[in-house]
Amino acid sequence: MATFVIRRLIASIFILLAATYLMYILTALSGDPLEDLRTSTAPNKAQLIESRTRLLNLDVPPFLRYFIWLAGVGKCFIGQCDLGVTVQNQPVTILLAQAAGSTLQLVTIASLVAIILGITVGITTALRQYSGYDYGVTFISFLFFSLPIFWVAVLLKQYIAIGFNDFLADPKIEYWIIPIIAVVSGLIWMSIIPRKGLQKLLTFGIAAVATAGILFYLDLSDWFSTPHIGIVGIIISSIAVAFGVTVISTGLKRRRALYAALTVAGVGIAIYYPFLYGFSLSLEAWSLALLALVTIGVSFAIGWFWGGADRLPVARTAAITGFLVAGLIALDRFMFVWNQYANSGRIKGRPIATVGSATPGLEGSLWVHGVDLFTHLLLPTIALILISFASYTRYSRASLLEVMNQDYIRTARAKGLTERTVVVRHAFRNALIPIATIVAFDIGGIIGGAVITERVFGFVGMGQLFQNGLDHVDPNPVMAFFLVTGGLAILFNLLADLVYAGLDPRIRVS
Amino acid sequence: MRIRRFAVAAATVAVGALVLSGCSAPQSEIVEGSSLSVAWNQPFYSYNGETSFGNATANNNITYATNAQFNFYDDTPALVDDTSFGSYEMVSEDPLVVKYTIADGVKWSDGTAVDAADLLLKWVSLSGAENTPDFDATEFTDPDTGAFTPDFPTDVVYFDSGADPTTGPGLVSQLPEVSDDKKSITMTWDAPFVDWDLQFTNVGLPAHVVAANALGIDDPQKAKDALIKAITDSDTASMAKIANFWNTGFNFTEMPSDTSLVVSNGPYTITDFVADQYITLTANENYVGDHKPEVAEVTVRFITDPLAAVQALQNGEVQVISPQATADVADALAALDVTVVGGYEGTYEHIDLQFDQSKSGHFNNPLIREAFMKIIPRQEIVDKLIVPIQPDATTRDSQVFLPGAEGYDDSVASNGSANYADVDIAGATALLAEAGVTNPEVCMLFSSTNPRRANEFLLIQQSGALAGFNVTDCSSPDWGGLLGTPGKYDASLFGWQSTSLGVTNGPPPNYNSKGINNLSFYNNPEMDKLTDELGKEFDPAKQIEIQIEIDKLLWDDFYGVTIFQFPAVTAFDETKIANISPSTLSPTIFWNIWEWSPVGA
Repeated sequence: MATFVIRRLIASIFILLAATYLMYILTALSGDPLEDLRTSTAPNKAQLIESRTRLLNLDVPPFLRYFIWLAGVGKCFIGQCDLGVTVQNQPVTILLAQAAGSTLQLVTIASLVAIILGITVGITTALRQYSGYDYGVTFISFLFFSLPIFWVAVLLKQYIAIGFNDFLADPKIEYWIIPIIAVVSGLIWMSIIPRKGLQKLLTFGIAAVATAGILFYLDLSDWFSTPHIGIVGIIISSIAVAFGVTVISTGLKRRRALYAALTVAGVGIAIYYPFLYGFSLSLEAWSLALLALVTIGVSFAIGWFWGGADRLPVARTAAITGFLVAGLIALDRFMFVWNQYANSGRIKGRPIATVGSATPGLEGSLWVHGVDLFTHLLLPTIALILISFASYTRYSRASLLEVMNQDYIRTARAKGLTERTVVVRHAFRNALIPIATIVAFDIGGIIGGAVITERVFGFVGMGQLFQNGLDHVDPNPVMAFFLVTGGLAILFNLLADLVYAGLDPRIRVS
Repeated sequence: MRIRRFAVAAATVAVGALVLSGCSAPQSEIVEGSSLSVAWNQPFYSYNGETSFGNATANNNITYATNAQFNFYDDTPALVDDTSFGSYEMVSEDPLVVKYTIADGVKWSDGTAVDAADLLLKWVSLSGAENTPDFDATEFTDPDTGAFTPDFPTDVVYFDSGADPTTGPGLVSQLPEVSDDKKSITMTWDAPFVDWDLQFTNVGLPAHVVAANALGIDDPQKAKDALIKAITDSDTASMAKIANFWNTGFNFTEMPSDTSLVVSNGPYTITDFVADQYITLTANENYVGDHKPEVAEVTVRFITDPLAAVQALQNGEVQVISPQATADVADALAALDVTVVGGYEGTYEHIDLQFDQSKSGHFNNPLIREAFMKIIPRQEIVDKLIVPIQPDATTRDSQVFLPGAEGYDDSVASNGSANYADVDIAGATALLAEAGVTNPEVCMLFSSTNPRRANEFLLIQQSGALAGFNVTDCSSPDWGGLLGTPGKYDASLFGWQSTSLGVTNGPPPNYNSKGINNLSFYNNPEMDKLTDELGKEFDPAKQIEIQIEIDKLLWDDFYGVTIFQFPAVTAFDETKIANISPSTLSPTIFWNIWEWSPVGA
């Protein structure tokens, strides 16, 4: 194991050296870094050229200038990283830190949502193989996969930002839209829920009527300008969450688990109003995080007391329920400030943003900033999810299907285990092994950013660092970008191998 | 049983909560405010726009709004004085003596008076007069980073302002005289310099802040006294620290924790700056001049992508945009309900012909140069490549004058450019026959990475073929370095950037046989005489006369052709803002930032 890691690391260093050298030369030879000065008519042109040449060592040919840069990188080992300066005399190390922060903010949420959504949808399509739902998802995921992101991003801005903001000026759903959405929703639910004949039709009817009812409610209650879940919504959804989590986590037969989950939901409902109008106002980001931890802890304790003989699964069920119910209440709290936010002087009734990561000069509570972050990250996140969604659904579907056909699944069924136990405990866990490697790769790619998405949405992150460097024929920022992405790619490749070996006992690293 | 008990408990708690909730009313969670937003394509990165690397539009737009100017260019473009800030006058012409006086009551935003200390700092930094002579900064520059190494000598003064002792501010090498009331300074130039009025146009950085940080003196007055003393005594140890802080202290990419660094003396002051996102300018309360701003808060948002800027304008996130003008942007803007103002950038496209160092050697013969100028489809280039971006675009017909500036129309009427308004294949063929050459080769140098220039080249190539010219491609990504290399090309196609109307920026360096920008090996004694004369002529009317002569001589000598001024586009939401009137010269849209006025607010 240790020899494997060391051997891989040594090989990686050489790969990185060769790659950086190639990259440096390519960037340095891609144009003339003095071009803008050469066409300048400034009287002190010669001095300016000389000063830039000195700043960036342009008198040293790129083949050797690389080693100057490399020496600076080498200083990282003694704790003084030195990635050089840009044409504008800014230290690249500082720029890199700023860019990485901005990129992480953009891409982390997108990746998390894409992973969760992709795997969920992938698993469900595998369980309903060859259903209308399965075909529908297959079609949609390939459609998304083949869409060019720069185009999708511009369309998203046009319709979801500009179009939705226009809609908000007078938020009334057109009468003919409601039945269309209701029928589509009915079809989707009909294909997901496995029923035959008349029951199938019944599913369709219930789903369609429910959808239409919700839409009418949203329309009549002016929901789009004053969104809310409300106490009724919280009660219904909390109880639904309690049941849902119990079904997946332990099965409804474990009564104690169900009671524990319902107790947690009840506590959540109980603190809804005190939270909404009381102590939530003065919360900071760290205290909210602390509150989340406390919620999980308390819910776990409730489960533990309900638990009986085998406490852990019950406590786990309660903790998950607690987290989700708290999430719902927090979501309602964010919605609570929406109207105030959207009509404030800095937003002027057009909440969904097309550029940047925050509204300039906005000051307010944690919740206001949360909503602001949401309105800015919504579109780039959707754009990023659309591309990675496809691969996650396909891989998780294929992986689960393969596992479901294994002998040990048949054995498990033959033992008389419930379908829930077979799928969640025996199949799902093993299906996740190959997905772990894909996720590891993707996390490696996160920091590299999304050059195009960043540009279209006015995020100045790693992608911009790279692009601006190229535009100015300035190798230093390009190399900083490359060092991070290249380094992470190699690191996560290695990690993926190790994780795979750890998860799957059939594989051994040596 | 259990379920029932549980349900009762839950219901009790829920009802209790409902009752409790009636007590408190929702509070306001948002601090109200509003701002006018402008999109710019590059982030701000240095509050000192005078250093060799900080001198960029992205910085100068902001420093223009935060600094009052002795004079500035309006949208004509013409030079306008701001006497509410200060005055400058030429005391004598030979030797050139100029006196700058700060108006009474002018203060920095922290309340400290603007005075001679600031002017002296401006002088010492721009002139480089106290820079340690023959000091080679390279020896003490860390080769890895370009930053100065720790062993950078502490007794070396080096202001990195690109000062050149032979021109511009470098010509004021003597210590200026400070008046007794510390309100004015008098500079004596070593040699006459006709663009003297464009050199010290504002007071630059606050002397008391520079001195406070460099010398560690907190009291503003004492700091200024120390700075004046250091400059007058040429105290190298102090000057070294001052120069070092001047070079490096004002380079920040987000709001500095020490807000004294953003002290300003103009209409606005920087109040917020988030890295790579936006910079916020707020009206300066201590500003007493004539340019009192109407908009209390202006936010400059950094949006690189031109189409993203258009959509941000459509979505109301910004109210003014000035993206790079492309056909896509023009189309997108045409579809929107916004006000679009066309305009020009300071850069102009032109073709220069090599005189006696051309690659093929044909251009030694003026007949062939003339024939080549006749086949350049200037109007067609404008119609096909510029009109889609700017419907009213026209050709630029003067080598010297900026369209719109005083003298342009007069010069165009007489300089002979009209002979090249349309392609004249017959005329070109006749000239080639007279010169006795068939199918002369003309190799054109241009940027191979610039699609517009590649298109221009193709149009020229097609047109040239009709008259028998064999126009070939000498383009290179490294074209800038090849400019002025003998025997490498016959004609060059590129743009010159004008940043002012100063006569010393234009004809003398470009057309004098010894000029730094004379890349065509053009050598005409008459031109040398005219450019020398221009370099000594202080009277603006006479300057224009000489420039008209120069312009005519250039066309008569078949120097080359000008094609078009780069188009610029500005769009704004007139339901939110009025008085946007972009200027050709930097700082383009920002030149009248104090005149912008909010609409319907």
